Amino acid sequence: MDATFLIASAVKVLVVLGFVLLGVPLIVWMERKVIGHMQDRIGPQRVGPFGLLQTIADGIKLFFKEDIVPDGADRVVFIIAPALPVITAFLALAVIPFGDTVRVAGHDIPLQITDVNIAVLWILGTTSMGVYGIVLGGWASNSKYPLLGGLRSSAQMISYELAQGISLVSVIVMTGTLSLASIVRQQEHLWFIVPQFFAFVIYILCGIAETNRAPFDLAEAETELVAGFHTEFSSMKFALYFLAEYANMMVVSGIAISVFFGGWHGPFLPPVVWFLIKLSLFLFFYVWLRATFPRLRYDQLMAFGWKVLLPASLLNLTVTALVVGLTA
Amino acid sequence: MLEPVLFALFSVSAVVFAFNVVFRRNAVHCALHLVGVLLSLSGMFVLLNAQFIAAIQILIYAGAIMVLFLFVVMLLNVKGEAPLLTPGAWKGFGFFFALIVFVELLYTVLSQGGTEGTPAAAVPLPPGFGSPAEIGRILYSTWLFPFEVTSILLLIAVIGAVVLAKRKFA
Amino acid sequence: MQTLSVPLEAYQLVAALLFTIGLIGVLVRRSALIIFMSIELMLNAVNLSFVAFSRQHGQMDGQIFVFFVMSVAAAEVAVGLAILVAIFRNRETANVDEVHLLKG
Repeated sequence: MDATFLIASAVKVLVVLGFVLLGVPLIVWMERKVIGHMQDRIGPQRVGPFGLLQTIADGIKLFFKEDIVPDGADRVVFIIAPALPVITAFLALAVIPFGDTVRVAGHDIPLQITDVNIAVLWILGTTSMGVYGIVLGGWASNSKYPLLGGLRSSAQMISYELAQGISLVSVIVMTGTLSLASIVRQQEHLWFIVPQFFAFVIYILCGIAETNRAPFDLAEAETELVAGFHTEFSSMKFALYFLAEYANMMVVSGIAISVFFGGWHGPFLPPVVWFLIKLSLFLFFYVWLRATFPRLRYDQLMAFGWKVLLPASLLNLTVTALVVGLTA
Repeated sequence: MLEPVLFALFSVSAVVFAFNVVFRRNAVHCALHLVGVLLSLSGMFVLLNAQFIAAIQILIYAGAIMVLFLFVVMLLNVKGEAPLLTPGAWKGFGFFFALIVFVELLYTVLSQGGTEGTPAAAVPLPPGFGSPAEIGRILYSTWLFPFEVTSILLLIAVIGAVVLAKRKFA
Repeated sequence: MQTLSVPLEAYQLVAALLFTIGLIGVLVRRSALIIFMSIELMLNAVNLSFVAFSRQHGQMDGQIFVFFVMSVAAAEVAVGLAILVAIFRNRETANVDEVHLLKG
C-alpha cells in the first residue's frame, strides 16, 4: 500500500469513470446513427458535426427537466432505486482488465482497477444486485405498468443469471482461475471463443437479457407497458437508468472480451487499442441485434431461458469437464 | 488498524438493519433492510478471510433469494396488516422468551463455556484459506456425501414448489 | 491479515444479537412473509458464528457449513414462498393467526 499504488489506483478509477461517462453519449449517438441507417433514415445530424452533440444536448435537457415524484410513490425507494444499477455497473467495471501490465517510472501497473482472485464471482454478484434498481423502481412508482415491468425483470434476471453463470463456469473449468487477468493471459495463443463457442453464445444471449436490451427488453416493452419500470421517472432519475443500461452493456461486453475474445491480446496495435476495438464491435453487435430482431413474448422468453439455455449450458459444462478431466 | 473500524461499521449496520427488518410495517422495506443485513455480513465474512462465502452470500442470498422474496411480496401486494404484532399476552411472552434466549447466548459467549476447545488466539491460517479452490477441494472430498444429499434436497424443493404453485384451488 | 485484531467474542456477540432480533420477529410478527425474513435473519446469525469459529480454528469446515445452510435456506424459501402464495390465493391473507384450519 505505498503511495504509487494509491496514485495509480486513483488515476485508473478516474480514467474508467471518465471513459464510461464520455463513452455513453457516444454509444447512444452511434446507436441512433446505426439504427437510422439500417432503417434507411439518416439519424441525428443537426447538433454538432454528424449530430455528435445530440446526446449531450439531450443530457442537458434531462438535467434541467422538472423532477417529478408521483403521488403515492415510496419517496425514499423512488430516489434510491435509479442509483443502484449505476453503482453496481461501476463496481463490476472495477475488475475488468483493459490492458496488460505497463511499466511507468519503474513501477509495474496493471491496467485494471483491481485484480481480485474471485473476479468472476464478483461480477456475477454485482450484476445480480443490479436487478434491485429495476425491481424497486417499478415498485416504488406505485403504478401498475412499472410494477409489471419490475416483476417481469426480476423473474427474467433470476432465470438468465443461472445459464450465464454456468456458461462462465465452463471457461473457469478450463482455466482453473477466477481472476479475469489470468484468464486473459491464458488466451495469448488461442482465444477461448474457439473451444468454448457454445458457452459464448449462451453467455451473450444471457448478457443481452440481463441488460434488458432488445430483443429481451420485456421490462420496458413500450408496446405493452408504456415504458415499463421507468415510466414514472423523469429528469436525472431517468438519465441514471439510461446511463446504467449502457454502462451495463459495457460490462457485459467487457466480460465477453476478457473471457472469450482474448481481452487485450492482438497483433501490431497496443493492447488498450485492441480492447477498445473489440468493445466497439460488441456494442455495434448490440445495436445490430436491436435493429434486427422483434421482441420475444414473455412466455417465450421464460421458456427459452429455462428450457433451452439452461440445459444447453449444463450440457456444455459437462462436456467441458469430461474433456478437461480426461486430458488432464 | 482498519479491521476494528470495519468490524464496528459492519456490526452496527447489521444490527440496525436487523431491527428494521423486524419492526418495519411495509414488507418491501423489511426485505430491503434484510438485504442490508446480508451485505453487512458479507463484509464481515471478508474480514474473517472467507472471500468465497462472502461472494456467494451476495450472489445467492442477496442476489437470488431476496429477489425471490421481493417478487412474492410485490406479487401478493399484501396491504399493511392492521396491528403489526400479535395481540395481547403472546406478544409479551414473545419478547420475554427472546430476552431469555439472549441472556443465555450472552452467558455462553462471555463465559468460556461456548468456546470450549477453542484456541484463545486465532490459529495461523494455512495458505489458500477461504479461497474457492480450497472450498472446492474440501467440499468434494470430506463433504461429498452431504453435498450430494443437498442436491437431492434442492431437487425436491423445486418439484415441491412447482406442484404447490400449479395446484388449482376450488 | 494473519492476526485477528477483533476477538472472537465480538463476532459471537453480533451473531447473538442478530439471532435474538430474528427470534423476536418470528415470535411477535403476524405476517408470514416477515416471519420468513426473520428466520433468514436467524440463519444468517448462525452463519456468522460458523465463519468466525472457522477463522479462529483455521479450519474451513465452518465455511462449508455456511454453504450448506445457504442451500437449505434457498430450498426453504422456494417451498415456503410457494406455500404462502397458495395460502394467499385461497384465503386472501398472509396473516398466520388467521390460518388455523386444517382443511383448506
